[in-house]
Amino acid sequence: MSTAHASALEAPATSRVKGYWKEYNSSVFSLLVFLLIWELVCRLGFISRFQLVPPSEVIVVMIEKFWTAPPDGATLFTHIAASMTLALVGFCAAVVVGVPLGLLMGWYKPVMVLVRPLFDAVRPIPPIAWIPLAILWLGIGIEAKAFIIWLAAFVPCVINSYIGIKLTNPVLIRVARIYGASNWETFIKIGVPSAVPMIFTGLKLSLNAAWTTLVAAELLAASEGLGYMIQMGRRLARPDIIIVGMLTIGFTGALMSYVLTKIESRIASSRRL
Amino acid sequence: MANAAAANLKEKIGAVFSFVIFLALWQVASMAVGSEALPSPADVVAKAQEMYTSQIGGKSMWMHIYYSLRRVVGAYLLAAVTGIPLGIAMGWNVKFRKIANPIFELLRPIPPIAWIPIAILWLGIGEGPKIFICYVGAFVIFVMNTYTGMRYTDHLLIDAARTFGATRRQQLFNVAIPASLPSIFAGVQNAMSMAWMCVLAAELVGAREGVGFIIIQGMDLNNSPMIIVGMITIGLIGLFLAVSLRYLEKLLCPWRRELQ
Repeated sequence: MSTAHASALEAPATSRVKGYWKEYNSSVFSLLVFLLIWELVCRLGFISRFQLVPPSEVIVVMIEKFWTAPPDGATLFTHIAASMTLALVGFCAAVVVGVPLGLLMGWYKPVMVLVRPLFDAVRPIPPIAWIPLAILWLGIGIEAKAFIIWLAAFVPCVINSYIGIKLTNPVLIRVARIYGASNWETFIKIGVPSAVPMIFTGLKLSLNAAWTTLVAAELLAASEGLGYMIQMGRRLARPDIIIVGMLTIGFTGALMSYVLTKIESRIASSRRL
Repeated sequence: MANAAAANLKEKIGAVFSFVIFLALWQVASMAVGSEALPSPADVVAKAQEMYTSQIGGKSMWMHIYYSLRRVVGAYLLAAVTGIPLGIAMGWNVKFRKIANPIFELLRPIPPIAWIPIAILWLGIGEGPKIFICYVGAFVIFVMNTYTGMRYTDHLLIDAARTFGATRRQQLFNVAIPASLPSIFAGVQNAMSMAWMCVLAAELVGAREGVGFIIIQGMDLNNSPMIIVGMITIGLIGLFLAVSLRYLEKLLCPWRRELQ
């Protein structure tokens, strides 16, 4: 496999295409077979139109959804924009609060001793379980959903920042002390930078949690957004709408993680220089 | 030794102290906003007593817990039985990987919770969709962790086995699978917490029994003490599941302790 890849890089363009084809032909083939079976199962009437529609129709609906609002009341872009805004607001708020809290917990013992027990007590409750209480407190508007997403994204931020700064090489800390750095200076100049890789791992987990929780919150209480879209698809028994929504949720989530990974590698490379 | 004990004691005092502050703040907040919106800790304790001795929606609290646990454990076992072999096959056989991976990669980014509407369309509103959602959540984690473990198996180990004349079968069962066990066991824990979250989500969207039903019922009745008791119950069960898995893991694989 790897030798085929290496030779493909050196070879001229035509045989490079051939090399890629050799690498990916069975993958393409398997996807096609998957879609074909799906199409046939639907076309031959093994499954009702109200449960599953063939992929060809899903594609048509997906394209139409870009400019048509019915049956769920908004175009695909409106739903995506609503969901992404909510997820990013909750996520950013969680990062702003969670990362400093985690770092302080890892560095200053009294903060750890006071905050850790509460944090450990609340952590086993999945953020989704807060949805009813949040709706009761904040209504079904944007506040309740932002709160749930904030909560979901907050936990991984805190944990990873905490672990990251705990893993700071003690030799570096001692060197800084010997050169007369104050505790605060050591924290900012040694502790925080050395925790950055771990923080980024936490951010990715956070973003993932935020996106999953967003869908749950929108299933329960929303008037737009991707979760609302698939919930409407269920109420109207329109599997095409649900599948378009699910694929969009998956794709948008993957896209956001990809952007975060890009930002991470940018920061990591600038730090190395 | 004495120093460690003193530090431990300090930590315990800190924990008690922080809980006392927390409860006091809670009490003050509930007096400030009124017990309608935020019940005081005493209200919650009273409500818990009432809930655990009476019936909610025609079933006792213990029955609701039993329903949720049954869904989670059933789906979890099913996911382990199917997910781990699939992950091993994907990690071991290049041909199989190329066939299964694209489909898996296409479905993986979709959060399990997003499957709820279509699961209800397919399986109705009974036990089916709840088990299906938990299954999807746990299955993906089992496959991913097993697959990653297999792919990151040290090639030196397999080459060494081959040099000593191990058959392909022996290489798989005696080298590759044991080498990926740590990664698989990491998945065992994650899959459980994922399954627990999923059952909750499925029960929130539509159920007549289970702990998710309890909190959504609390919301519909505008009864915040009921929601809080439900949330605490959910947290405790989640904790119980995690601790018992850790215990089981120690029992089943005593060598893990030496690895850590």
